[in-house]
Amino acid sequence: MAMAQESEISLISEELPLRANLSVLENIAIVPQYRQNMAYDQAADQAWSLLVGLNRSECAFKRDPDLSREERFVAKLLRAVIRSPSIIIIDRPALLLPDTHYPPFVEATLAALDDKINECWIVDYTWNEPLYAPR
Amino acid sequence: MERAPVRAPLIKNMEFKVGLLLVLTMILAAGFLFYALFARGAFERTQRLILVTENAEGVEAGMSMTYAGFPVGQVKRMNLTEQGQVRIEMAIPVKDAKWLRETSVFTLEKSLVGGAKIRAFSTNLKDPELQDSAERPLYTGDAAAEIPEILAKVKAILANVNDMTKGDSSINQSLANVKAVTERMTGEYGVIGGVLGAPENARKVVQAIDHTNSLLTSLNGVSLKADGMLGKTDQRVFGQGGVMDEAQKSVVQINAILGDVRESLKKADAILANGQAISADVKEATTDIATLRTEVDDSLTKVNHLINEINRKWPFSRDVEVKLP
Amino acid sequence: MPGMDPIIDALTRRGAAQLAWLRGWRGFGRFAAVAIVESLTPATYNSATRSVVQKQIYFTAWQILPTFTLFSAVLSFVLIQIVVDAARNYGFAQHALEASVRILVLEILPLLTALFVGLRSGAAINTEVALMVVHNEMKALADSGVDPMRFEFIPRVIGGVISVLALTAVASALALVLAYIAVYGFQVWSLSEFNRVMGNIFDIPAIALLWAKVLAFGLAVTVIPISEGLAAPPAKLFFVPISVLRGMVRLFFVLMLVEVISLVLKYI
Repeated sequence: MAMAQESEISLISEELPLRANLSVLENIAIVPQYRQNMAYDQAADQAWSLLVGLNRSECAFKRDPDLSREERFVAKLLRAVIRSPSIIIIDRPALLLPDTHYPPFVEATLAALDDKINECWIVDYTWNEPLYAPR
Repeated sequence: MERAPVRAPLIKNMEFKVGLLLVLTMILAAGFLFYALFARGAFERTQRLILVTENAEGVEAGMSMTYAGFPVGQVKRMNLTEQGQVRIEMAIPVKDAKWLRETSVFTLEKSLVGGAKIRAFSTNLKDPELQDSAERPLYTGDAAAEIPEILAKVKAILANVNDMTKGDSSINQSLANVKAVTERMTGEYGVIGGVLGAPENARKVVQAIDHTNSLLTSLNGVSLKADGMLGKTDQRVFGQGGVMDEAQKSVVQINAILGDVRESLKKADAILANGQAISADVKEATTDIATLRTEVDDSLTKVNHLINEINRKWPFSRDVEVKLP
Repeated sequence: MPGMDPIIDALTRRGAAQLAWLRGWRGFGRFAAVAIVESLTPATYNSATRSVVQKQIYFTAWQILPTFTLFSAVLSFVLIQIVVDAARNYGFAQHALEASVRILVLEILPLLTALFVGLRSGAAINTEVALMVVHNEMKALADSGVDPMRFEFIPRVIGGVISVLALTAVASALALVLAYIAVYGFQVWSLSEFNRVMGNIFDIPAIALLWAKVLAFGLAVTVIPISEGLAAPPAKLFFVPISVLRGMVRLFFVLMLVEVISLVLKYI
């Protein structure tokens, strides 16, 4: 995968897990830490405010196995958002959120992050189309 | 922007601890290098001393030279000259240089077990100090190498001496002859006239007596040295039943036998003195006396040879120690 | 020729195994080269990688420092006492200090540290890397814009090397102090004699060789587990124990190889 492409697209998928030995906060914070050499405190603050914005701050110090599916989805989404790619692709949300009526949930989450996302595509099976609100 | 409530929830002061460990490691690594350089004398002023020897077997760079058991210098480097001699360059710390004087002697000792040792001896510490870059010979004394040879020689010598002092040996026979002659000479019928024909013959007898006397002195010296040597040898690590035990016994035997020789020669001395007194009015030499003189001379030569041999083979004159570490 | 088939099969399997074995070593060599180059590249060091280095040092060295120090001190003291006693009995008392310091500081302590770190952190790293590969975490990291090689693996190598250096330094320094006490007792007047003996042991080549050896040990205890973990096939969880097993065996052989090479260099 070419570097330019990487920086353009972030994929949120069941097949791309969180880093297992890091908390949610750290998982989000390492992206600016690594990419912009941002100090941990600053990166952690940035990640924290994203979590607070989605009302998910209670899971900030949990690690992957302790997370609910929704929390895991939010963590993965924020890890993509903090990098501000031009496109975020959510790959089959039904796999990520099997126990949730996910279209409203995803819709609400994306709406809360509206100012931080350039473009978001949701890839889903056509038979799930009726689940989504008509545009 | 919201502030994250807890910075590093798992580890307290991790950065401080890791920094501490890093600094400690760096201090230890750098300190170790510095210490090693210091211990090797890199920060110490040294002066040079060149030791020249024929054979530097066992000497290696970094070996230290001792004075009275204390290290006073190290072998810096060594090379073989065009003349086939070994030049050993020593580095002497300036603060230790005072132990080395112009008259100091340097020896290389190799022992049976353990490495070689370079030792310095300064008999008079009032002599002028050794100059920088001075060149001195390095004497080698390999005690171990000579032991078997010495033992073999001593055995041969003992056999010789034994032969000489046996009841039927030439010395004893000579003495018996002398006795018979002198009896005759002092006898009623005075055959003395035939004892020593010419004045030069008389002089020869006197020379022989002188010879005997000096021989006795040497023998005394030899036995004294032998005693001293034995004492020394005993002090050293040679235990009972060791190789030196046999040598010691042999030397005790030498001593006893040499004592016998001395007694015999004393008798000869007395008899010859007698002969000298009598010879004043003698006109013609007798064949008996001539034979006697030849025989005494012979014995003297033999004993002399023996003493020379002992002196040459047994290194009394050198301060050789056989030392086991 | 139908009779030849089993033989051809056996040979093919044998050859395949041999090639796999060679590929393992090639992976190790390639990763070692990358790790060395990357760790010397300033761009590798950023906020994220530094924190991984820190964690690696913290978990590998700081956490075990008290236990390890105590253990190495006891072992050093016992070994020094054995050497000193034996030397006295055989009349080599003057070589006791030199012998014990040579044995401990130049040979046993570095190897022991490497084995300790290898068994503890090396095994952990191997497992973690294998799990990362199996769970596809590397792809996830790459997708979020973090190069897993630079973020996860190079910092671990750097941290591992520093940890082995630190632990060896502490253990060796302690061993020197203990050697002095064992040979001369609790007094300071024999320091110059001690210094002279140390000066004899630690010439510049010896120090350089020691440092190079510790460095090689540090590289081995992290590079081998990581490269072995990376060789695990994705999404095959059952392969993790096999990967750790292979990593540990290879690590053991490499540590021994480094030790033997250092001995060969020293005594030839």
